[in-house]
Parts: sequence; structure tokens; C-alpha cells
Amino acid sequence: MAILEVKNLRKSFGATEVLKDISFTMEKGQVASIIGSSGSGKTTLLRCLNFLELPDAGQIIVGGETLFDAADPATQKERELRRKRLRFGLVFQNFNLFPQYTALKNVMLAMELLAKDKTADARNRRTPDEIEREAKALLDQVGLSNRMENYPWQLSGGQQQRVAIARALALKPEILCFDEPTSALDPELTGEVLRVIRSLKSSDRTMIIVTHEMAFARDVSDHVIFMDGGVIVEQGDPNAIINNPTQDRTIQFLSRFN
Amino acid sequence: MQLFFEQFPIVVRSLNVGFLQTLKLFFVTLIGAIPLGLVIALGSMSRVKPLSILSRVVVWIIRGSPLMIQLLIIFYFPGIVLGKPIWGGGEGGRFAAASAAFIINYACYFSEIYRGGIQSVPVGQEEAGLVLGMTKPQIFFHVKLSQVIKRIVPPMSNEIITLVKDTSLARIIALQEIIWAGQAFMKSSMGISGAIWPLFFTGVYYLACNGLLTLLFGWIERKLSYYKV
Ligand SMILES: Nc1ncnc2c1ncn2[C@@H]1O[C@H](COP(=O)(O)OP(=O)(O)OP(=O)(O)O)[C@@H](O)[C@H]1O
Ligand SMILES: [Mg+2]
Repeated sequence: MAILEVKNLRKSFGATEVLKDISFTMEKGQVASIIGSSGSGKTTLLRCLNFLELPDAGQIIVGGETLFDAADPATQKERELRRKRLRFGLVFQNFNLFPQYTALKNVMLAMELLAKDKTADARNRRTPDEIEREAKALLDQVGLSNRMENYPWQLSGGQQQRVAIARALALKPEILCFDEPTSALDPELTGEVLRVIRSLKSSDRTMIIVTHEMAFARDVSDHVIFMDGGVIVEQGDPNAIINNPTQDRTIQFLSRFN
Repeated sequence: MQLFFEQFPIVVRSLNVGFLQTLKLFFVTLIGAIPLGLVIALGSMSRVKPLSILSRVVVWIIRGSPLMIQLLIIFYFPGIVLGKPIWGGGEGGRFAAASAAFIINYACYFSEIYRGGIQSVPVGQEEAGLVLGMTKPQIFFHVKLSQVIKRIVPPMSNEIITLVKDTSLARIIALQEIIWAGQAFMKSSMGISGAIWPLFFTGVYYLACNGLLTLLFGWIERKLSYYKV
């Protein structure tokens, strides 16, 4: 069964339609890369999945449960959306770490707040000890065990993005989204972040990565989606799409990378 | 010179009494205006249009007109309209009126500082909190508040130092604050008459007070300098 089904998603800002009938499915453990030129709607799509924007039409179905249906206001209550957001994680292009907290606290904060929430799932009602252990393990996993007590301003861009990845992993999202995770980094720092993302591939973690790193997209993903002007022009096997695109717009887009 | 040494303790005692009134007005204004400013700031950022328009118009009027006129209006206007004064007689009534005027005036200035501070927190901070399943109040208290405080400490310290000096305006409604006390010696007070130096000497009190405040705010700024926004 598909872990994620996106059906006929549409989103407009004022008169401009930014997403026009977007549909795709993902299996559990799959990695999908979304590629496409600037303004094609990639960020908007990820923001819709995390309910930072509400789509005007369409459905978002996770593990068979309809989390969002534009036609059904009952699925759009703010309280509910907050709970549903936990099924997704989002790593931002510019990290958005909390500057007043150490790397460790950045990772712990959401876990701590959720643990105090009486309505949270049992698996999130963790003790302070468990939370700290978990956060340290995550920072270790992204290679920052010696940076836990540093504040964001004391870290390089690549390190900050790795903290942000650990922070996103803390709540164990079923589907983790990355919005151009290396675009704000100096070229020499992209490698460490891409390596971490690659290492996160596992059978129970589904990932959607918006990226301009074509070689990375081809190597790491099981599925590639090419977007242009708010529509999915072409999607499928990474090698097929990146090495042998069939659509004119895809060919034109990819030619810029060689 | 001998005369000066005889006068000095008498003057200081009198100025101390005035300064106490100055300090009272200062603290009462802070206690009232710091929270009221937040209410006005939230009002002016509200999505309810009439509320935000009302808040902004009030702020515009209060910031756009002299505090001295506001003092006079608040002190005399209710009496003129209602036919009887609402502030009660004597120093207590004058203090109540002065407090009301100062609280309203400073709340409006503070509200603009708060609004600037809140709006300067990048929207990405809120979005990061949202995708981590935080509620709006959690985001405000655990993510934004510290950043807002860090940003507003320098403008607030300017405003609060101005407040110390502005309290002297209250003598327009005869509140017996320190300048009023100093000025009294120019005519006659406590057996001293025609002395102008007590009025100049009040400046020492203001300088000492603002010196302390400058140290306090410097300390707060250093406390918050462990991170950068
Ligand atoms: N909040 C908004 N209000 C109005 N227009 C918006 C908003 N957000 C995005 N847009 C517009 O939607 C279009 C798609 O934007 P989006 O950020 O999704 O593109 P993108 O594919 O992520 O581009 P990039 O590669 O530059 O990040 C753009 O034309 C953008 O100007
Ligand atoms: Mg984008």
C-alpha cells in the first residue's frame, strides 16, 4: 500500500495558479527527488504537504488515511492539522534553527513540548532522560556529537543544516521533506549534508527531496519528479528521467546541468 | 559659601521628597505601560480590521501630540465635561491623573517597539515551530519571545531613559516632583528664597538615575549576547 498519495492538488496565490493538478504516489521507504526550474512550484508543493499552505483542491492521503481533502472542511481544522503535521517533517533551505538554543536544545525542544502534551501519542510521551538520549543519538548520527553545546551562530552552514536534519528526525516523521537542503551552502559544504541525507535512506523512512544536485538526485532516489510551471511534466525512474528524458521541457531543463 | 553649606541639607531633604514622587511616577508608568503596550501592539497587529485601525489611530494621536497637552487634557477635561473633577483633590488626585497620562502615552510608544520586535522575527522561525507540531502559543513563548526581547532591549532602554526625564512634565498639573521642588526655592521654600542652584542640582538626580538604568540595560544586553539573531 502506498504511504503517500497526492491527488489532484491545486494551489493559487491570488490569480496565479502555482500548482496545477499535481498527483503522485510513494511507497514506504522510497526516496523521491523533485527537480525543476525556479518558480515551478516545488517549494509550494512541500509546504502544502506540511500544511504550511492549504491546497485549494485535491487530497493528501498518508497510509490510507485522508489527512487533507480540500472538499471536506472537517479535515482542515487547525488543531487537527497540528497533529497531522507530525506525520511529515520539513528541512528548510535556510535551516531556520532557533538561534537562542544550543544544537542539542534545538533537537530536544519539540520533543519536550510534545511530551508535556496530554493528547499526544504514547510514543511521544517521553521522559526528559529519553529525550536527551534520543537527541544526542540523532546529533551523533549526523556527525555532530562534538557540537551539541554550540549555538547556531557558532556552526558552519553545513553543520547548521545537519542540526536541522536531526531536529526534523526527532519527531520520527513518516515522510521527511527537504527543500533544497544545500542551496544556501558554500559548494565545499554541500558534500557533508548530502552524505548525511543519503545515510538516512532506510526501509521505514520515506523522503522527498527538492534539489538542484542532479547527480545526487539520480544516485539517491528511487523516483524522480520533474516539475515545470506548476505541473508534473515527467516522473519515473531516476536514470531514465535524468539520462534519457522524453519530454522537450525536461530535455531543455537538464541540458543546463551538463 | 557658609550659606551654601547651611542650605545644602535642607535643599537635599526637600529634593529627596520630590524625587520620591518622580520615582513613583516612573515605576507606576512602567508597571502600567509595559503590559498595556503589549495589548495595544497585539491590537494593532490583529487581523480584525476595526481593532487594528482603532489601535493604530490611538497610537498615531498619542505619539503625534505633546505629552504636556495630554496631561492637561486628562487632568482638566473630565471635570469640564462631567461638571465635577474625577481625579480627587490634592497631590493624590494629581498623581492619579499624571499616572494615567503617562501610562497611556508610554504604552503607545512601547507598543510600536513591541510591534517592530515581533514583526522582525523571521517568518521561518514560526514555520519551523509549526512543522515540529508546536502550537501558536508554544511558538510565541519558546521560540519568538526571547528573540523579541533581545531585539527590543536597546529601543526600550532609550525610551525608559526618556521617561525618567519626561516625568518632569507632570509639574504642569502641579505634581510635586523633583523639578517642582527645586523650583520652589527660587521663590521661597523651607526658609530659603531666591536660590536657583537647587533647580540646577536636580540634574544630579536625573544623571544618577539614568546612570543606574544604563548599567542595568547594559547588563541585560550582555546577558542576551550569548546568541545572535
Ligand atoms: N506566498 C506566496 N504568495 C504569492 N506567490 C507565491 C507565494 N509563494 C510562492 N509564490 C509564487 O509561486 C510560484 C512558485 O513558487 P515556489 O517557491 O513554489 O517555486 P520553486 O519551484 O520552489 O522555485 P525555486 O527553485 O526558486 O525555489 C512562484 O512564481 C512564486 O512567486
Ligand atoms: Mg523553492
